[in-house]
Order: sequence, then structure tokens, then C-alpha cells
Amino acid sequence: MADKVKLGMIQLCGCSGCHMSLLDLHEKLLDVLPNLEIVYGPIVADVKEIPEGIDVFLIEGGIRNEHDKHLTEEIREKSKIVVAWGTCAAYGGIPALGNLYSTKNLLNEIYATGSVDNPDEIPEENVPKLLDRVYPVSHIIKVDYTVPGCPPKPEHNASLIMALLEGKEPNILPTKILCDECPRKKKGIHPKELKRTFEGIPDKELCLYEQGYTCLGMATRAGCGAMCPSVNVPCRGCYGKTDAVLDQGAAVANAFASTGDAVLKLSDKVGLFYRFSMADALIPKKVEKKK
Amino acid sequence: MQYPASIRIVRIPCTGKFDITYALRAFQKGADGVMVVGCKPHECAFETGNFRAEERVKLTKEILDELGIGGDRIEMFFMSAAEATKFVEASNIMFEKINKLGPNPLKASQGK
Ligand code: SF4
Ligand code: SF4
Repeated sequence: MADKVKLGMIQLCGCSGCHMSLLDLHEKLLDVLPNLEIVYGPIVADVKEIPEGIDVFLIEGGIRNEHDKHLTEEIREKSKIVVAWGTCAAYGGIPALGNLYSTKNLLNEIYATGSVDNPDEIPEENVPKLLDRVYPVSHIIKVDYTVPGCPPKPEHNASLIMALLEGKEPNILPTKILCDECPRKKKGIHPKELKRTFEGIPDKELCLYEQGYTCLGMATRAGCGAMCPSVNVPCRGCYGKTDAVLDQGAAVANAFASTGDAVLKLSDKVGLFYRFSMADALIPKKVEKKK
Repeated sequence: MQYPASIRIVRIPCTGKFDITYALRAFQKGADGVMVVGCKPHECAFETGNFRAEERVKLTKEILDELGIGGDRIEMFFMSAAEATKFVEASNIMFEKINKLGPNPLKASQGK
């Protein structure tokens, strides 16, 4: 490899966790780092302008404000390959649950409550204007690759970066659902009652959903190795949908509907079904009543 | 015998094939209402197709409520394939109901 690969990275409406997950490459970093030149990355160096001629740009986080949008468009112009990196960039992630509230309500919640010194003063000067909702990166620009995960597994980061370094097509994501890689025993039944995660202690061998826990494995892309069900925690869907469906929440809902009244009794169904993918849903935000 | 001209029919082999995605897709594309029409209870050739659809419609109602579109905009009707009058009746009931509710608020919010 003659020239180093010029890499750009940024965190938009995300938590920097995807950047942190790069460190989990551990000794693999030693293979990767000598072949990379990080030319832009606010998390590691203070570079004011995004330089031209970037080979690979990793975007973490969704698009929440006008500045995010502007940067994303600039990144696209200046980069050969753009990766929607992590679930927030791919599907909105946790911050996109804010799409269930109006921008006004969100700002009021933060700035107009008694917990601040100057309630009712919503900062407007010198801060970028919020968009009407969180958008996945792919809704704003063309994205070349998507690597979901909250955060992506180090193996996925490694195979992505290795493939891009070698100029190969990254082929890292399984197309199956999580249940297919989950070792728990399934009987093919639907539970009569649904429980909160803290209620009772789940059997270690049996499918969590069939035991009545709200596991979203049936609507979530495989790839994480069923990390959460392996430690008795239901999957919350962080790897997003598979390519076979349009809408992760609807895929969960189709399965959960078979529990009859049990699912109807749950509160905040949309928040549960779309926990990580609200921004990429067919109906990606709560519709506000006129007036 | 006529059903309202604004109704578009999407045929599925059995209501058991009805997927909540279809309903959300319809509303995303601007439909004002969705009616799911299945065979009479206990007359499903696959035994439970229509009941499964009914469960999905019930859940779709709640999802639509939470999304601000309104659960009243989707209904399930049961009838046999030979009951044309019943279909027209159901279409008219649905049409009236949606007329009262007005246009899909998603469409309105996007100014389309
Ligand atoms: S629903 Fe959850 S626990 Fe059950 S098989 Fe799927 S991933 Fe495993
Ligand atoms: S089990 Fe589900 S929530 Fe947990 S890491 Fe895997 S995809 Fe994410």
C-alpha cells in the first residue's frame, strides 16, 4: 500500500460511543493505524476545516440540526466513501426517540423548566437551528456503506476498515434476524402476558420473548452474536432492521400482535418497537395536531 | 351497486398476509384510511388468517394513535367473498367515517 488511506471521522447527533468502539480493536489497531492518516476528526484533533480528497469518512450520529446537515453535505462533496457508522447514523438511534415530541416541547423541557437559572430563555443566537426531527444520514446524502450497532461490534469495525484499506467491497453484515443466531430454545409459541425486564428472573435456556419479555430479536439484524439474550437481557433492537423489511417497528409489531391483549396493554409501544430506528421508520415522527 | 370511487383495492391472498407495514406504508403515502376486509370468523381457509389480521389491526390502531395519525383511520371488516352488498355497505361506512375525520394529518403536516 503506497499511500495511506485518508480517513475522516465526526460525531453528529450521537454520543461518541462509536468512536470509542474503535479503541476496542485493541491490538488490531496496530495493523490498522499505520495504514491510516486521520485528516479530520474533532474527537482526536482540532482541525477547523474539512480537507479535500478524503478517502473514507465515518459519520457517527444522525442529523439533528442545520449545522449537522451542512457538515454532512460538505463531507459528501469531499469524500470518496461515506459510511453511516453506528445505529444513530444509520437509523437515528436513541436520540431519534425525540421525534415523538415537537421541537418546541423538547426545547421547553430542557430550557424552560425550574431546573435552570433562566427559565423560558431558549438560546437562539449562535446556535444552529434544530431541524423538525432527527434524520438518518442516508436521508440527507448518498451513503456508501452502513454499519449498524450501538455501538458497532469491534469485529465489524475491523472488517469494514480492513476491507476499505485493501480497496475491497466490505461485506460484513449478516442478512438474517437475531433469533437465528440466538442460542435460546424456541417452542414457536406466543406469550399470554408481557413483562418488564425487571420482573422475575428469566429462565436461562428458553427464548425470552416466549417467556413474556419484550425481546426484539425477531425484527433485528443478526451480527452482535445475541449479546444481550446471552446475558438474560432482551434485545432492544440496536442493530436495526434486516434488508428484508421496510420498517423495524412494524416487523416487531407483527410478531407482538399475536400476544393479543398483552401487547395492547403495553405503554409507549412506538418507543419500544422503534427504540433504535424511529428516524428511519415509514412514519418517522409524531404528527402534530394543527393549531 | 357501487363503492366510493376514492377506494383503492389492494388484494392479498388471505388477510393472514396483512402486514402492519402495509398500513403504515399506505398512511405514509397519504391514504386517509385503511380498511382490512377478511373472511367471516371461523371461515378462514387457513383457520386463523382473519383473526391474526384482526390482532394486527387492533395493534395498528394503537400505533397510529401514538403517532398522532389516529387509530380510527383503520378498521377491520369480516364478510364472505360472495357478499358484494356487505362490501359496499362496509365501504360506505368507512368512507363516511373518514370523511368526518378529514384528511390524513401526516399529509396535512407536510402541506401536500
Ligand atoms: S426473541 Fe430474543 S430470546 Fe427469543 S430467540 Fe429471538 S433473540 Fe433469542
Ligand atoms: S442483542 Fe439486540 S440490543 Fe443487544 S447488542 Fe444485539 S442487537 Fe443490540
